[in-house]
Amino acid sequence: MGNGLIYVMAVNIVIWIGIAFYLFSLDRKIKKLEREMNDPSH
Amino acid sequence: MLIIIASFLYAKAAVGFPGETSRIMIYHVPQAWVATLAFFISMIASILYLSKRRLNADHIAVTAAELGFLFSILATVSGSIFAKVTWGSYWNWDPRETSIVILLMIYGAYFALRSAVPDPERKRVFSAAYAILAFATVPFLVFVIPRITMSLHPEDTMNPVDPQLDSRFMTVFLGAMVAYSGLFGWMFNLKYRLLKIEEKIYKGLEEWEMD
Repeated sequence: MGNGLIYVMAVNIVIWIGIAFYLFSLDRKIKKLEREMNDPSH
Repeated sequence: MLIIIASFLYAKAAVGFPGETSRIMIYHVPQAWVATLAFFISMIASILYLSKRRLNADHIAVTAAELGFLFSILATVSGSIFAKVTWGSYWNWDPRETSIVILLMIYGAYFALRSAVPDPERKRVFSAAYAILAFATVPFLVFVIPRITMSLHPEDTMNPVDPQLDSRFMTVFLGAMVAYSGLFGWMFNLKYRLLKIEEKIYKGLEEWEMD
């Protein structure tokens, strides 16, 4: 494990967390939309 | 299940061991694999659409083609960085690099075709026929051309069993394959559900206009 490599890894993890967070929020929004569509009383 | 996939991604980034630059392979190869898989799914769904005329099949075809395009770009970019450190240049029109550019242009044309035809029914039929033709080029561009010409790209493209890699590397590598496939499945699922919602809204609008 070289010195610079730890930064590469850190940046990588941050990017992946960002992607995962974005996908999770998108998933939630879609779920909400689906619920609203199936139940028009909202 | 989604959490498992996501945690897989973190774990993958956190581990990874031998030779510094070879780590790119952990990302590069699964990206290429997922892209090929996506284009394959797109072709199957297009065939289904042409035979059954189900709207769902069209949704699957577009979603898969979009994600295939995205992952091809990712594989190209990571491959280019890989090329810089191993071959000495980001881009030198190696047969491998040229073939991926042709592939990207072919699938780029797919989206151009979709947005160019205004009638939705004709759009779906045209693009389904095009997707089948487009996939016919994939085996040549991905597997054949880099092999019949002199290429710097490793010979065993798409052959994950390389005895030169140690077992810990292989564990992470196969983990990355699974994780990328899972990521693809997740993104596919999201895009597909969005298209379903869109479809419902359009249907609702049409009924509303008729009233």
